[in-house]
Amino acid sequence: MSYLYPSSLEEALGILRDGSGRARVIAGATDIFLQRLPHSLVDLTALPALSGIKEESGLITIGAAVTHSQAAASPVILAGAQALAEGCARVGSPQIRNAGTLGGNIVNAAPAADAAVALAALGARARIVDIKGLTREEAVEDLYRTHNRSLVDSSSEILVELIIKSCGINEGSAFTRFAARNALALPLVNAAAAVKVENGLVKEARLVVAPVKPAPTRLQRAEEMLIGMPVNRETRLAVEKAAASEVEVRSSLLRCSARYRLHLVGVLVGRALETAAQRAQQRKRGNDS
Amino acid sequence: MIRSITAPDPKQAPASGCFPGIDYDQNPEVWAKAAGRAVYGTDLKMPGMLYGKILRSPCPHARIKKIDTAAAEAMPGVRAVLTGEGLGCKPFGIVVDDELPLAVDRVRYIGDEVACVAAVDLQTAERAVQSIRVEYEELPAVFSPAEALEENAPQLHRDFPGNVAWQRNISRGDSEAAFREADHVVENTFTVPAVHPTYLEPISCVAESDRCDGLVLHTALQSPDSVRAIVAKVLELPLSRVRVIGPVMGGGFGGRVYGNLKLYILSSLLAMKTGWPVKMQLTREEEFTVGRPMIAAELKMKMALRSDGTILAREAEIITDNGAYSAQAPWVSNTISERNDSVYRIPAVKTGVRLVYTNKVPTGQYRAYGNQAANFATESLIDMAAKKLGIDPLDLRLKNCIREGDVSVHGLQINRCALDECLKAAAKKIGWDRKKAGRGYGLSAAIHANGSLIFNKKFRGAAAQARLELDGRVTVFTGEQDYGQGAHAAFARIAAKALGLNPDLITVQSRDTMHSPYSLGALAMRQTTIGGKAVQLAAENLKEKIVQLAVSLSGEPATMENGVVRGSSGMVFDLAAIAYDYHSQTSGLSLLGEGKYVPEKSDYDDSGYGNISVTYSFAAHAAEVEIDRDTGALTVHRIVAAHDSGRIVNQVSARGQVYGGITQGLGMSCYEGYLFETGRVANASLADYKIPTALDIPEIEEIFIENEDPAGPYGAKGLGEIVMVPVLGAIANAVADAAGEWVTDLPITAEKIYQAMAGWECQ
Repeated sequence: MSYLYPSSLEEALGILRDGSGRARVIAGATDIFLQRLPHSLVDLTALPALSGIKEESGLITIGAAVTHSQAAASPVILAGAQALAEGCARVGSPQIRNAGTLGGNIVNAAPAADAAVALAALGARARIVDIKGLTREEAVEDLYRTHNRSLVDSSSEILVELIIKSCGINEGSAFTRFAARNALALPLVNAAAAVKVENGLVKEARLVVAPVKPAPTRLQRAEEMLIGMPVNRETRLAVEKAAASEVEVRSSLLRCSARYRLHLVGVLVGRALETAAQRAQQRKRGNDS
Repeated sequence: MIRSITAPDPKQAPASGCFPGIDYDQNPEVWAKAAGRAVYGTDLKMPGMLYGKILRSPCPHARIKKIDTAAAEAMPGVRAVLTGEGLGCKPFGIVVDDELPLAVDRVRYIGDEVACVAAVDLQTAERAVQSIRVEYEELPAVFSPAEALEENAPQLHRDFPGNVAWQRNISRGDSEAAFREADHVVENTFTVPAVHPTYLEPISCVAESDRCDGLVLHTALQSPDSVRAIVAKVLELPLSRVRVIGPVMGGGFGGRVYGNLKLYILSSLLAMKTGWPVKMQLTREEEFTVGRPMIAAELKMKMALRSDGTILAREAEIITDNGAYSAQAPWVSNTISERNDSVYRIPAVKTGVRLVYTNKVPTGQYRAYGNQAANFATESLIDMAAKKLGIDPLDLRLKNCIREGDVSVHGLQINRCALDECLKAAAKKIGWDRKKAGRGYGLSAAIHANGSLIFNKKFRGAAAQARLELDGRVTVFTGEQDYGQGAHAAFARIAAKALGLNPDLITVQSRDTMHSPYSLGALAMRQTTIGGKAVQLAAENLKEKIVQLAVSLSGEPATMENGVVRGSSGMVFDLAAIAYDYHSQTSGLSLLGEGKYVPEKSDYDDSGYGNISVTYSFAAHAAEVEIDRDTGALTVHRIVAAHDSGRIVNQVSARGQVYGGITQGLGMSCYEGYLFETGRVANASLADYKIPTALDIPEIEEIFIENEDPAGPYGAKGLGEIVMVPVLGAIANAVADAAGEWVTDLPITAEKIYQAMAGWECQ
């Protein structure tokens, strides 16, 4: 087995090209080190192109090798993508957050990845380059092939960065999670919401929940229902009901019954929505004053 | 960068009451562990060492038709392959002889040992094991006691018809009359899953066999002498040709009293066959699937009371799930069935307990030996009674709790007991009279024995030796084991007090059965009380001998005060000089103090009535919790732990015991439990078998009621297992107080709390 440590994106792509499918990219390696290791590993954590968090003309760009700890503490993300900061702060344990990266959280394709759920709610797009030099941009939630299998081929493609629209006036986001203990536990349910609220009415909404499908799942019916509704308790209860009615979940011996998980989906989506809406309204007040 | 780790500043450190030395400084091994220098069993490597691996059954119940080991034997690097057929071993066990080192014709659970291999490295051993071909004929299996007790159920063991491994019926007083005359009866059924002690270091063993030394097992055990005796018997070796040497132990919590006997026997057989040391180590998955968790139990219990809250009687039907083989499960079942009855003054008791074989992982023991399972049931029932009678749960407990001078319903003699004070202190500190809105509060009380007079009716005590070294230092030899709980530090302190020396001058040795006095080991909370008393007696005996020698050397009366030996003329004798003089006079003997603590025989009779221990420790815990009503999520905010463990030998170690015991109690209350899928352990990893993390631990406040007990050294007694016992009842009752509904099935998860509050039918 070889362990390669390229210092530029070009070099990394070159190694993948030469590896003809037998080399695989890694970053934090918090998951792959638990599995059977491939022929050669290409460590991306030194690539300048994959590091750093910056904000320019209302867009936040996050390098794919940014760790969960870095994202959770980033002033840019705390201000412009609060759901992401909250999701990143709840992953695993401090050790895992210090090593695990946002790009890895997506390409590892775990169905309830906290960062991925927040990114999907924030409408994040992933920029991916391949060994032929082609670049594509995809919505985060469109990168899942099936359970724990990504559409990003880590033997021939590199997820370079994530792009999110920074939270503007009247906008807010939030992340919630429910697990069997306070650290080192996959969530029974996690959810994120990003909303725009004008004059007390919902203008735009993205609600995402997991794990119900291989990918973070948009609750489109609940989102549509929300548009034009006032932010209040009745709306929240209606959304809770709608959310629970548009997903299907299974009972799991290790986690919980389907009935309880469905109940949690409603509660968590409702809570994420409520917090996100509060934040959106606070942002408005903040701007007014 | 590696920072060097040093002890805190002694000037800042606390000291415990009447004992010499500073609390923080008492356990030199702690510093080796913190710095990564301690050598655990998993670290051991020996010249020429081979690695052993076990092939395990993939079937819950099957007949072995054929085993083909040819490919394994032909594999380069493989030194030995064993199957059950050729071993000729007799069935063995701890209580019941129902196991063989390797299955001969039948396997009874997924994980049953079928064959084993020794090879030059672990990878080769693993490959060799995988190359063994076994033909199985699957047999119908039973996965629950209910299935196993059905009339036409498959039988697991020929000698145990009806799949009942062990049973007992206890009847004291006239419980039928009490239930007839009672004003109120409360009853419920409680279930407790199997739980693993989850020690940090998986069990390992290096076995060496040669003509000079016989069989030497390098493995960390709580009771090395018990394991040594079983291994010698199974392998038909003279007892003196089997020796156990313990490396540092990475946790035991009851699980390492007997550890994993199969591992020790199989590594020994491979070492004897090859002539080379053989190392075997359980993986974490094996710890869960073939280690020995504590039995699952179902307790159907009812209690009769008068309107004024007086408890009149209790009846219980208990079924415990043995798994495929017995280990210590009969004893654990026995503790579940009766120990809790002695927390209160209960005039009449009627209990039936049955231990039932199933095609699942065999069971063993865990800290508190099932007493905590019974605590969950009985303490919940007491709060149910309090609610029904409209009596405050604290008052109901104070009205009925056992007191000094009582003889309990099972004949336990309660000579020293501050349980009522523990209850009052715990309630006061948690704020029983000024409860916060939105929080739930619960209380629970417990008793636990300090060593056993009946485990071996002839061998009830402990022995120790204290040797004066040529440099004037003292070495204490004991068979009692330190596995992180601080037993040896406590012994150093006890010997230091007896001799008037600084504990730094005392070294405690116990890890080699060749040199240590025989001992029952670290079980039944006997280390401080029984082992410590023997150390005190040995040190006192050494002191007498030192003074006698000073007298004969000087020809004048002498005394030893504060570690200084002084003749009546004022002449001072150096301890090293005394040691050297004796050594010269005797051409090499050492001055040796011997101590034997032989507790009086018990009046324990054939019905199981009588005193079972020299004394008992008591505790009351109070919990404060909060429940998220939308999800059922539980936050345990605080636990107050009030303990009567007599005089505390070391405040720092004692607090450590309390924090650890409460963490494990919380784990069993709210997080842990085996999950099975047709006999297979479904959560056989630390990711899926959830123990609490640092973020889940409540604020813990300990209160020590130092009610001196003459049964133990300088008034001290045990504070190990008991800490875990009351946690379960306290949390269960606090949850019920907050939720308005009881969860009677452990662990108390958010889902179960929500189900109870929402009135959902149980899954």
